[in-house]
Amino acid sequence: MNPVQSPQNRTSQRLLRKRSAINAIAMTLSCAAALFGLVFLGWILWTTISKGLVGIDWALFTQSTPPPQESGGLANAFFGSAIMCGLAILMGAPLGIAAGTWLSEYAGARRIGMVVRFVNDILLSAPSIVLGLFVYTLVVAQMGTGFSAIAGAISLAFIVIPVIVRTTDEMLRLVPAQMREAALSLGVPQWKVIVQVLYRGASAGIVTGILLALARISGETAPLLFTSFGNQYWSTDLASPMASVPVVMNQFTASPYESWHTLAWAGALVLTFFVLVLSLLARAILSRNKVRHD
Amino acid sequence: MTELAFSMNAPVVAHSPRAVAANATAKMSARRLNFHYDRFHAIKDVSLDIAANRVTALIGPSGCGKSTLLRTFNRIYSIYPKQVASGELLLDGENILHPKYSLNQLRSKVGMVFQKPVPFPMTIFENVAYAIRHYEKLSKAEMNVRVEQALNQAALWDEVKDKLKQSALGLSGGQQQRLCIARAVALKPDVLLLDEPTSALDPIATSRIEQLIAELAGDFTIAIVTHNMQQAARCSDFTAFMYLGELVEFGPTEKLFTQPGKKQTEDYITGRFG
Repeated sequence: MNPVQSPQNRTSQRLLRKRSAINAIAMTLSCAAALFGLVFLGWILWTTISKGLVGIDWALFTQSTPPPQESGGLANAFFGSAIMCGLAILMGAPLGIAAGTWLSEYAGARRIGMVVRFVNDILLSAPSIVLGLFVYTLVVAQMGTGFSAIAGAISLAFIVIPVIVRTTDEMLRLVPAQMREAALSLGVPQWKVIVQVLYRGASAGIVTGILLALARISGETAPLLFTSFGNQYWSTDLASPMASVPVVMNQFTASPYESWHTLAWAGALVLTFFVLVLSLLARAILSRNKVRHD
Repeated sequence: MTELAFSMNAPVVAHSPRAVAANATAKMSARRLNFHYDRFHAIKDVSLDIAANRVTALIGPSGCGKSTLLRTFNRIYSIYPKQVASGELLLDGENILHPKYSLNQLRSKVGMVFQKPVPFPMTIFENVAYAIRHYEKLSKAEMNVRVEQALNQAALWDEVKDKLKQSALGLSGGQQQRLCIARAVALKPDVLLLDEPTSALDPIATSRIEQLIAELAGDFTIAIVTHNMQQAARCSDFTAFMYLGELVEFGPTEKLFTQPGKKQTEDYITGRFG
């Protein structure tokens, strides 16, 4: 008998056809879904690049924000963003790393650790405008000096802290328990083991967390609206209002002036590029470290 | 130091070139030692002696408590909550389980090498120098000598002398394990605890480590946990067989493997259970 004609074979042929069809449908649907998402991402990037490139020139980085209908740049906003993000990282990173270390190394699986971890996750997803309002009532309204760059930096730091707590905690917990035992079995005290051995093992992950936190806050607008407010002029005074790229973009895109729109798009492009570079850097650090561990 | 617990009724038989003297003294002694993981009773009333400058092997099926017993010898278990040892564990006659006994002092005297080689994420040189620096202030030249000495003792010097500044993570598994041994012996401990040191290694690296254990036995008191009975037979002077948290039989390795005194021991070493 011809094997192709046997009843078992016919059943298996039918099953195969059916499964191939289901496979093709599932594959098409998932590819379409992925494409759907990518199209919008590409669209956003394309719009940002095509509209932003027009505004990229030397003046963008050297001149401050202009009055309507005049030419100028975003130098004061770039400077303000850099200062406030830098301060936020300086304030948030040590606190975040310390808290993450406590969670991973001292609290561990104890109840208090789980509670703190849960609260941190809530903070991680808290709307940033709420953090802005919090700092407004806590700092801006209390100090009497009004809006200030330092208040802006503090509100950004509140976004930085939970991100870094989470990454530090997770990265330290990835360090094998045997590494801790090996170091402790040499009689080295725990704090030294953490600082000199575990931090080295987790350094790539912790640095990545800091970079991602920086990427996150560089585009935050809401927490700055009530804190650093904005400043049309170049300012280095931390106690007075300071311009920042997202707030300027927010203000300029809402205006009717063409020149302001161009500047806002240019700012958007620079910001996008900055975040892209940070993400690539974070990936590079992580992947290089992975290769070294194998 | 006390006489070995079993030497009263059983004559100690020499089985290796390093003849085991009948009057071998105990470096560490467990006296009615009990261990709990929370509510689980992992070690039950174990008393045994670890002979000075000899190799003592702890064997038994998985979960019998042999690793747990080893982990009480330097109190490494104490970093975890809910793990408690009770009874007495003497090192040179002092009870190391006493809360006043300094952990630092204990761990500088009792070194440990783990199942998986875990080099620290630093250079080969730093891996060895790291712990020495914690205990002693040495000049650069003195430190170089100490590190070379330790790497020599671990039979690793020739392979790494040209790449001391390279990351230890680039070494092979067997080399990493010898680096961990170098790291432990660099502190000049009295006792070396080896927790299945070859179970993650290939046969060639394994035989290299076994050879090394034989060489180190002259200078250190060694306790080794192994699930490989041939390994216990090959490189130990004394063997303890544990089962379900109890010490079933303990004696000179040759006697335990050739004329086991208990039925359970015989069943285990002949492969009838385990």
